[in-house]
Amino acid sequence: MISPVKVWRNQKFVARMVARRGVVVSWTVIRVPPADFGYQAPYPVVIVRLDGGESIAAQMVDYEEKHLAIGQKVISVVRRTIQTETDDVIPYGIKVKPI
Amino acid sequence: MKIYIIGAATTKFGELWGVSPRALAREAVDSALADAKLQTSDVDALFVGNMLSGMLGGQEHIGAFFAEELGLSVPAFKIEGACASGGLALHNAVNSVLSGQYTTVVVLGVEKMTDHKPEDVATALMGAGREGERLAGATFPGLYALLARVHMATFGTTEEQLAAVAVKNHYHASLNPNAQFQTPITIAQVMKSSCVADPLKLLDCSPISDGAAALIITSDKRQIIDKKPVEIIASVTATDSLGLAQRESLLELKSTKKAGQKAYALAHMAPEDIGVAEVHDCFTIAEVLAMEDLGFYKKGKAAIAIANGETTLGKSKHLVVNPSGGLKGCGHPVGATGVKQVVELVDQLKGRAGRRQCGNARIGLAHNVGGSGATATVHILMRD
Repeated sequence: MISPVKVWRNQKFVARMVARRGVVVSWTVIRVPPADFGYQAPYPVVIVRLDGGESIAAQMVDYEEKHLAIGQKVISVVRRTIQTETDDVIPYGIKVKPI
Repeated sequence: MKIYIIGAATTKFGELWGVSPRALAREAVDSALADAKLQTSDVDALFVGNMLSGMLGGQEHIGAFFAEELGLSVPAFKIEGACASGGLALHNAVNSVLSGQYTTVVVLGVEKMTDHKPEDVATALMGAGREGERLAGATFPGLYALLARVHMATFGTTEEQLAAVAVKNHYHASLNPNAQFQTPITIAQVMKSSCVADPLKLLDCSPISDGAAALIITSDKRQIIDKKPVEIIASVTATDSLGLAQRESLLELKSTKKAGQKAYALAHMAPEDIGVAEVHDCFTIAEVLAMEDLGFYKKGKAAIAIANGETTLGKSKHLVVNPSGGLKGCGHPVGATGVKQVVELVDQLKGRAGRRQCGNARIGLAHNVGGSGATATVHILMRD
């Protein structure tokens, strides 16, 4: 379980990072997931250079295989990051989708 | 003041379900003390390199933990820097002796990983990266896969060339009785192994392992029994951003470059002087990057050279890389690796590496990386 205080504190980052455009500089597909991500695998993880210069690592969502490419344009979106127990705060974070 | 290595030993690396962390440490340190013909009463301090004792074992404070276990009532420190913990423990031990406060110091690298499910170990290892990477579900194979992708797109490095790193290191490991893996593998086997994080496959990845390694270092010439002792002539650490996204370039590990350049300068050496090297091949791409970032090959040129056998025991005309089998073949008990690398160099320089002996190398280099390159340590050893 992620501490609800950490989830609350992370909201500032999420608010700042949403709806930012960028370009994929590298990509992979995680096929052997860690403990909390089992139900999502396989899923792509990309490094994106955002307009404005900052770079982030994020999952790519709503994609087709052709979007897994260096140079693919993306936009950041808010998505749930991991599955949690019913009494946990739902953790939302930044992912990216192709545009 | 000169720093000498007067004792060096490792345990077997592998899935050692019957062996506890205490037993691993005792075996490594007792063997190293025997190698140095010293008693515990000769030791002034203990430095322990380890990453996961807390997250996996529930045990922090392991400087004190292992001091007690080893019968060493001396100042004891746990040093952590993810997979560079062992190299960092040695670096800090060296500095402690250079300070003059301690004379003869034990460095212990130890890790116990196989008591837990792989997905839980993978989660714990992600602690070596940045939180954004953890929230993206980026495992360590995933982070190095991101580096491999860029290297392949920019320089045309192929999956087969990466596979050649694993083949070389398994061959070396088959000559090392302490290595986790004892059988050679082929390029075809690597290419057929299941994909972990595109383009890295199972056999591109170092395993989850248990093991320990220990070194005894000293500034006291009277402790030296070898007529030609092994000397540490450079011990350097460098740091880069915690996460991959914040790096200046994904084509190199700047921490390796900085640590290597400073180490060569301190030792008054150049890459061509190195006869044997242990570099950080947590994944096949990591060895390719290391060979370039340590100045052995120009950027983009290392993969094909490795695939051509230029650094393989028996084929190389000069430099042999990862004669122990590296992380891939010998195993990667995280905190032990950086110390094991130096133990291997000591065995090579002293001519006691058995079937893995790399000629009469006089100068050795050990390269240990933390995370995806946030920390790098380089040690250069010399024996006349």
